[in-house]
Amino acid sequence: MDPILEYAEGLCLMGAYILRRLISTIAVVAMVGVFVFLLLRLASGDPAAIIGGNTATPEMVAAIREQLGLNETLPVQFVHWAAGLLGGDFGTSIFTGRPVLELISQRLEPTISLAALTMICSVTIGVSFGVLAAWRAGGLADRALTGFAALGFSIPVFVFGYFLIYFFAIRTRWLPVQGYVPIESGFAEWFTHLVLPTAALSLAYIAFIARVTRASMLEILSEDYMRTAAAKGASSYAMLFHHALKNAGVPILTVVGVSFAYLIGGVVLTETVFNIPGIGRLVVDAINNRDYPIIQSVLILTSGLYVLINLMVDLAYTLIDPRIRY
Amino acid sequence: MIISRRNLFKLGAAAGTAFSLPSIVRAQSISDGRTARMVISNLSVFDPVVTTSDPTHTHAYAIYDTLFGVDSKFAPQPQMVGKWAVSEDKKTYTFELRDGLKWHDGSPVTAADCVASIRRWSAVAPGGQLLIARAKDISKKDDKTFTIALNEPLEFLLNILAFQGPFIMREKDANLPPTEQVTANIGSGPFKFNQGLAKPGASFTYDRNENYVPRQEPPDGLAGGKIVKVDRVVWENSLFGDQQTAVAALQAGEIDFLAQPSFDLLPIIEADPNLAVQVLDKSGYDNFLRMNCLQKPFDNVKARQALLYLVDQEAFMSAAYGNPKYFRTVTSMFGNETPASNDENTGWFKKGGHPEKAKQLFAESGYAGEKVVILQSTDWPEASNMAQVLASALRNIGINTELAPSDWGGVVARRANKGPVEEGGWSVFITNDPEASIGTVISGVTLPMNGEKGWYGWPRNDEYEALRLKWVDLGTQDERKQLARQMQKIWWDYVPTVLLGQHVQPIARRKSLTGLIGVPAWIPFWNMQKVSA
Repeated sequence: MDPILEYAEGLCLMGAYILRRLISTIAVVAMVGVFVFLLLRLASGDPAAIIGGNTATPEMVAAIREQLGLNETLPVQFVHWAAGLLGGDFGTSIFTGRPVLELISQRLEPTISLAALTMICSVTIGVSFGVLAAWRAGGLADRALTGFAALGFSIPVFVFGYFLIYFFAIRTRWLPVQGYVPIESGFAEWFTHLVLPTAALSLAYIAFIARVTRASMLEILSEDYMRTAAAKGASSYAMLFHHALKNAGVPILTVVGVSFAYLIGGVVLTETVFNIPGIGRLVVDAINNRDYPIIQSVLILTSGLYVLINLMVDLAYTLIDPRIRY
Repeated sequence: MIISRRNLFKLGAAAGTAFSLPSIVRAQSISDGRTARMVISNLSVFDPVVTTSDPTHTHAYAIYDTLFGVDSKFAPQPQMVGKWAVSEDKKTYTFELRDGLKWHDGSPVTAADCVASIRRWSAVAPGGQLLIARAKDISKKDDKTFTIALNEPLEFLLNILAFQGPFIMREKDANLPPTEQVTANIGSGPFKFNQGLAKPGASFTYDRNENYVPRQEPPDGLAGGKIVKVDRVVWENSLFGDQQTAVAALQAGEIDFLAQPSFDLLPIIEADPNLAVQVLDKSGYDNFLRMNCLQKPFDNVKARQALLYLVDQEAFMSAAYGNPKYFRTVTSMFGNETPASNDENTGWFKKGGHPEKAKQLFAESGYAGEKVVILQSTDWPEASNMAQVLASALRNIGINTELAPSDWGGVVARRANKGPVEEGGWSVFITNDPEASIGTVISGVTLPMNGEKGWYGWPRNDEYEALRLKWVDLGTQDERKQLARQMQKIWWDYVPTVLLGQHVQPIARRKSLTGLIGVPAWIPFWNMQKVSA
């Protein structure tokens, strides 16, 4: 077949694949929407009672509930919400009265900053550690890194977070305890506020990525073609990074993709410990207050993001391994 | 590339400088002596008419002003009002606003704003409902003067306006229904809400209102001159979620004030030479059990009395607040130190409780093993601990007890259910109320015994209600004390609540933040200042 035609056919197949995945994304998001809506309504809690406060009379709470439209039947509430969503309206916060999208957009920068730095840190250090451990398998470095990985898995983020705060913020005063400074206020301030949260959140991901990288690299390093490369006099650098790492890339990329998705959960805890006003804190506060529109919107957007990350990882496989076709 | 030792040293020094630069910048911003950073509580509702929550009232005292304010002795004192008079028949009150009152948008405060604010507040607040029931007419006379005409005299009128009375809003805001939130946040108070810097859930900023004209009297409670001594207050909302981090931030000088430090963290704060622990609100909170009087077993007075005898207040307080420095026992329904406090009908109190008597009373009530469901608020550690102590005490005398754990949001939803426990109802929940609120009697939402129209638990006693409604018509303190004793006699016979003890909530602050005014439940922003430590 003509290479150009073959290329065009490949593009068409990939386009169809992406389209199918995007359609499935919509289906997943719709299912999440229904599930979250019902789960929130069936769980105990009443935003009107929370707004009214501890000593509000039942009469006052009932009036607030009426005002908020919470007395309408579930199907009616669902239709109102779904219709708004289809029109791009994510609703308004029950508590602040502000559009949910505005509240989410206010919180995006801290969360993206934290997630991006964590991924950069985790991938860079995790892959390096994994490669080093595989290269020196059975040696001191390997055992030290295996021990580190076990530790990284075992220490919860909030324990490690408080440990970091104690040493680097309270004892030495090198870094701030908490909070977030937008990047436009200065790179240095932005960065120093994110050092401790990134370190706390990265620990488990570094351990995870390092272990998977080590296992994949060990498998590749034992292949015949690696022995051949060594026999031909290839340098350690070329063997590790040109031959082994590239071939070990698919499982590593899978782990990175999964880690990014799990990161969404980790961010909630980290944002709480370090008082970062991101999406995680927004959801926690919304759950405490039963601010339904915020919870629903964030979960829908998160589920969509999760599916899209998986899609991007699947597509990235083709860049690493040309044998993979969709 | 080969890095020499000297180059490595230079590189290290440069990196160290680059890293320490933000700390220097941060230190400069922290040492800004005109900004107070405060962790108070979670502020999520901004309209004090829509909610009874304390953080909303702290917000409201910052940006709004009130017609009257209570001083430290709970006596009403004029605030926005310059002059006032009452007619000879005590049925018509005339109020004249003092000069210089302006909204944050620059327009003058008028009598029409006051009338609209009183009307909106009176639709929901207990004191306001009483006022509106007696009022023949509330109207403005001119731009600065308005009148309240009554069908019959109301001796307690100024007290009602002063304690948990109306915050004065612009007429167009006050014309909204009392269930719809006012979100403009424009008042005439000593601070302006900075809408541009508002980050819901994260932080809110209050700037000094340079046009505010304080009264000439010295500050005294919520009365007197509200003199602002800082340029800005930043309400750090999100730090409230994690006490450990909040205390660390206080130690590091990133915040100046923490309103409700966890009791188990107080020793750490007390050990820090830069920090101080202080009890601002000396009247504190009365903790109590509220029983569902509509359902078994607590629809029977003997079962409620059994709880009264069962409770060992010191055990409950120790479990909740730990250090005896911050709690004590309480036997009066009006708290320990309010003008209405008394010792009528308090023979039930016994140190250590009286479980045998409680067991006997449960038996006399005809208790037949019905399940007692205690609502346990797991995100409120003190209440959660008290719920566990109660469950243990009940099980020890053979009561079929079940804890129903949920967050506070779950508790407030479930307590509205009047049905039996098998249908999602409840038997007991635990909460507290500021002693000042109970002590003023008329603003205490937990004090009425008006059945299903009233607060959760729905106790009903018509004789008590007749007495309670007389409160506002009594002119002297002696008459009120006498009435308080009569009310308490019935209260402890009927037992709508069971007291668990009184506690005070210390605050933690950096020593550089001084001048804080102690008032019940709320934190005034005026008068405080930052000084060099």
